[in-house]
Amino acid sequence: MDFTEFAQICEQLEGTSGRLETIDIISRILTGLPDDELPIFIRFVMGRIFPDWSPKKLGIGPNLLYEGIAYVAGIRRDDVVQVINRTGDVGRAVEELLAQKEQTSFFSENLTITDVYRDLTSIAASEGKKSQREKLLLVRRLFTNARPLEGKYLSRIMLEDLRIGVGEGNAREAIAKAFAVDPVLVEYAFQAENDLGKVALLARKGNNSLRDVRIEPFRPVRMMLAQQGTINGAVADNGAMAAEYKYDGSRFQFHKAGNRCKIYSRKLEEVTAALPDISESLMAATTHDVILDGEVIAISGGKPMPFQTVLRRFRRKHGIDLIREEIRMVPNVFDILYLDGKTLIDQPLSERRKKLEGVLTGYLAPQIVSDDTDEIDRMYRDALAAGHEGLMLKVPGSPYTPGVRGKNWIKIKPDVDTLDLAVIGADWGEGKRAHVFGSFLLACQDQDELIPLSKVATGFSDEQLQEIYSLLKDRVISQQGKEVRFEPGLVVEVGYSEIQTSPNYESGFALRFPRFIGLRDDKSIDEIETLDGIRERYARQGGNRSQ
Amino acid sequence: MLKATIDADILKESIDALSALVTECRLHTDENGVITRAVDTANVAMVSLTLKKEAFESYSSSKSELGLDIAKMKNVFTMMGKNDIITLELPENSHKLKISFEGYRYSLTLLDPSTIRKDPNPPNIDLPGKVVLPGAELNNAIKAATVVSDKIALGIDPQAQIFYMTAEGDTDHIRREFGKDEVNFLNGVEARSLFSLDYLKDMGRVMSRAAEVEVSLGTDHPAKFSFYIASGNGRVEYLLAPRIEAD
Repeated sequence: MDFTEFAQICEQLEGTSGRLETIDIISRILTGLPDDELPIFIRFVMGRIFPDWSPKKLGIGPNLLYEGIAYVAGIRRDDVVQVINRTGDVGRAVEELLAQKEQTSFFSENLTITDVYRDLTSIAASEGKKSQREKLLLVRRLFTNARPLEGKYLSRIMLEDLRIGVGEGNAREAIAKAFAVDPVLVEYAFQAENDLGKVALLARKGNNSLRDVRIEPFRPVRMMLAQQGTINGAVADNGAMAAEYKYDGSRFQFHKAGNRCKIYSRKLEEVTAALPDISESLMAATTHDVILDGEVIAISGGKPMPFQTVLRRFRRKHGIDLIREEIRMVPNVFDILYLDGKTLIDQPLSERRKKLEGVLTGYLAPQIVSDDTDEIDRMYRDALAAGHEGLMLKVPGSPYTPGVRGKNWIKIKPDVDTLDLAVIGADWGEGKRAHVFGSFLLACQDQDELIPLSKVATGFSDEQLQEIYSLLKDRVISQQGKEVRFEPGLVVEVGYSEIQTSPNYESGFALRFPRFIGLRDDKSIDEIETLDGIRERYARQGGNRSQ
Repeated sequence: MLKATIDADILKESIDALSALVTECRLHTDENGVITRAVDTANVAMVSLTLKKEAFESYSSSKSELGLDIAKMKNVFTMMGKNDIITLELPENSHKLKISFEGYRYSLTLLDPSTIRKDPNPPNIDLPGKVVLPGAELNNAIKAATVVSDKIALGIDPQAQIFYMTAEGDTDHIRREFGKDEVNFLNGVEARSLFSLDYLKDMGRVMSRAAEVEVSLGTDHPAKFSFYIASGNGRVEYLLAPRIEAD
């Protein structure tokens, strides 16, 4: 399939609002695609490049992309950013800019989706000192060859945000429809394979191929997620629940086959090298081939450390041995997805738990099963007292549904704290938020100075963004690229789950999960939170952050 | 089959001429010598290289096609001494090129030519303006231009009898003019085209070693740079697509 044809399909889909029509269009294309193009097409149409389980990353940031476009169009990078700000969308900007390429070429080649995939694969593969340069050359080459409409969707694929309204759901249904297979089996196969490209190929072979899908070690599975809820609500809805501590650590997936093991993060990135202590602990704790789901927590002097400490270790590539001594990483395992060649995700939690208890010595997260809300509440308070985040309540009869934030797992945790802060800067929004500010830079005060503390980009309704825009648009004092600075004046209330130390902001702190609560028109700048106040909150959350 | 010996400098010069634009290429050999033609990944620049058998100390070859990994080849150079004589040997039906000199015996696995982009056909274009100047002068002007901009205009002003190179930056401007005493006007007709310095920079480094470079120009047309290597027994031609400014 020529990439031009793909771009035309994208354009058609972008103009299609109906779900059924979208599914219909995609399914008709899928049936006609050869086996080598089918997986590429299905991933591209969702704005993805590589299988979800793959550790490959394209590694093209907006800046590299703008630079490539600037070169091909023969304008400065700043001018590219301006066109993006004006059109509000990288894809549309690229389409406009490629209509007047300055760099000519001797001949143009028709790009196929396979060509594009191959080039993107080489971009992902280039690493080392010269990698940015190599990536830039490949990006230029692609755009030199691309027609304007191709450029529109190519740039969006590069930023992995296609914006044509095709999500996993639509893609799954299109596959089911195209190859006349059971949608439930498509979903099941996807959960296990973690790549709709592969699933599409299996679907072409029929229901049995989809049913035969097995989880395999070293191909990470997306993690099952939880919804926020209450103890009473969960018990009223489901009866007895399995209750476990909600750890303030980092989710991990441990894969072991024979004497080999790997650890994956919540984003399915491999972090084995950063966590040698976890590998050692778990390799010694089981003789079986397994895939385990759990949470790593950091312990120092017998006490759990904040979430950040764990995250820092995840990112760490060098000097692991030195810091190992200071902070101990402890795995808490609460689920098992695979055991000695058998996929367990279809089995109820209670069965999986039994198997887990049978094959793992130690590191098992404690669990009670109860329909007594008082008993669960006691465990909740114990959890908070011990420095954990709260409780997880799980329906004992439920299967493990990878990547799904369903009602079978409920998280119970205290309400978040809030802060009043000054808005001192913003970034222009993207997409439908293109003509308003999309994220805001917030500051606290320290001796009459405003000190940047964090950014907030979530919790706004469109109306609120519009309102804030009208309050701020005349306060702009400088603009560089997509970034704007304001004359301070506006105060907002922001929720957060934790204060972290951070080198990114002058205050030395940052908010974890910052969320816009509301405008504080009633407050003036000199009433906002002080840096000393932030330091106090940070210190307080150290031991028991629930209070 | 290929069996040849060649002076290290000539081999380096030839490979450098290619590596300015491409990382791999197809070499065609026959009893008369070696020819290759390649285009850069963005189809913006082409190189063609001819090395006559006289460029070699000794040479014998049947008609064949080799896939050369230029980056690997350059690694081999790091071990070569200035006046070493290099022996190249490719047995019939082999995919390993043997390179030996001064006690080193390399065996380089060749690329499958079918995985390398096909030889481009040079576009059929007429470039009326022609000047000849020393490669070092050309390269100096290119280097000067990179300081102020990322593109450069090359042109001929027939009235003033001038070949010029100008670069326009956001704030700065540079112009180098060559009069009749510096340049040989083979055909001094009006011409002006704009080019990316990104390409010219790398090409300029190679051309700086040539005593004479023939530059062919048109208006908003590609430029052709031709020069001899290997004491006249080899010839390199660069063809560069222009940048065309929007009105």
